[in-house]
Amino acid sequence: MKMKEVRLRIQRFDPSQDARPAFREYSVPATDSMTVLEALLYAKSYIDHSIAVRFSCRMSSCGSCGMKIDGRPRLACETQLSSLGGPEVRVQPMDNFPIIRDLVVDMESFFEHHREMMPHLEREDREEQEHPTREYPMTPEELDAIQQFTYCIKCGLCTSSCPTVSTDAEFPGPQALAQTYRYLEDPRDEGGARRLALVDTQHGVWRCHFAGSCSQVCPKGVDPTLGIQLLKRHVMAAKGPGRGEEKKRRGAAQG
Amino acid sequence: MKESSLMLMQYVTAIAAIVLVTIHLLMQGVIVPYSTAIDFQQVLSVYKSWVDGAMLEVLLLVVVAHGFNGLRIILLELRQSASWTRNVNWASLIVTAAVMAYGTRTVILAVTGAVT
Repeated sequence: MKMKEVRLRIQRFDPSQDARPAFREYSVPATDSMTVLEALLYAKSYIDHSIAVRFSCRMSSCGSCGMKIDGRPRLACETQLSSLGGPEVRVQPMDNFPIIRDLVVDMESFFEHHREMMPHLEREDREEQEHPTREYPMTPEELDAIQQFTYCIKCGLCTSSCPTVSTDAEFPGPQALAQTYRYLEDPRDEGGARRLALVDTQHGVWRCHFAGSCSQVCPKGVDPTLGIQLLKRHVMAAKGPGRGEEKKRRGAAQG
Repeated sequence: MKESSLMLMQYVTAIAAIVLVTIHLLMQGVIVPYSTAIDFQQVLSVYKSWVDGAMLEVLLLVVVAHGFNGLRIILLELRQSASWTRNVNWASLIVTAAVMAYGTRTVILAVTGAVT
């Protein structure tokens, strides 16, 4: 296998010791199929053990290794060095998250926003929800409406790329809003009115300015921008002439 | 007021502003020649027509409501705290009402012939 040298420029930062982040360079022997994560792990194993990097599955399933590679939020495990096109690769932690150390960021607020949006089915009959007595089938069309949003792996790349998140800390972000749409649109869910109330706030769904960067960077092909726009439509539909029907469909009776 | 109600107003005023500003610009250089349109007496005569005066009043309300609500949104995104949100909302409301009132006063004075 053909070997070549790749210069990894890694942003290093330990908030407890350093005043500001600084780049440090590592030369890594690379093969054509080598990923950025593999290069990072090589540097960590053989050059500098103190490099902090978060990873787990190495197959774009867990969403742990999100970082900024050559200026763009990506998963390190699915980004091949050869796809970056240069002998130098710049690796930084994701934007819009506090840095714990080096490439590891604090995702607590990200998961807090996710939790706030009730990412689970809500039924009026709790007993039936916990111990279902029958199946709750979906049509292929109903599944198709939400399926792409179920692919979300919560890697945080969309939130990292969102211009609104960078200024508005109370904005739930594309991931949480897209998941709100996913459960709102699920025919088995009856918590629609509560979900609409959660996003129809001063820092809610309306703060999305349709930049679309979240959809550009999603490694799973999810289109959060679409979910947010459809969510806005649902909020407006609940106000319009057909609002009775919309509210009934969205379970307003319980709210 | 729910944020969706304010955003609905934002969308409606945006569309209304496009229509009204287009008519306004047509009257300022296409239908009425520009050199004539900016003549002081011509401007006053526009206001003295109740139809034109009413259109300018609606244009004033639409543009002021849209502009200050947009500014409110930008300010809310700059900082986040309960007091900042409350102050920005109240300040926007007061400034919007004040500018609308002052502009309406000017339109009324012109339409009723108080300005000659």
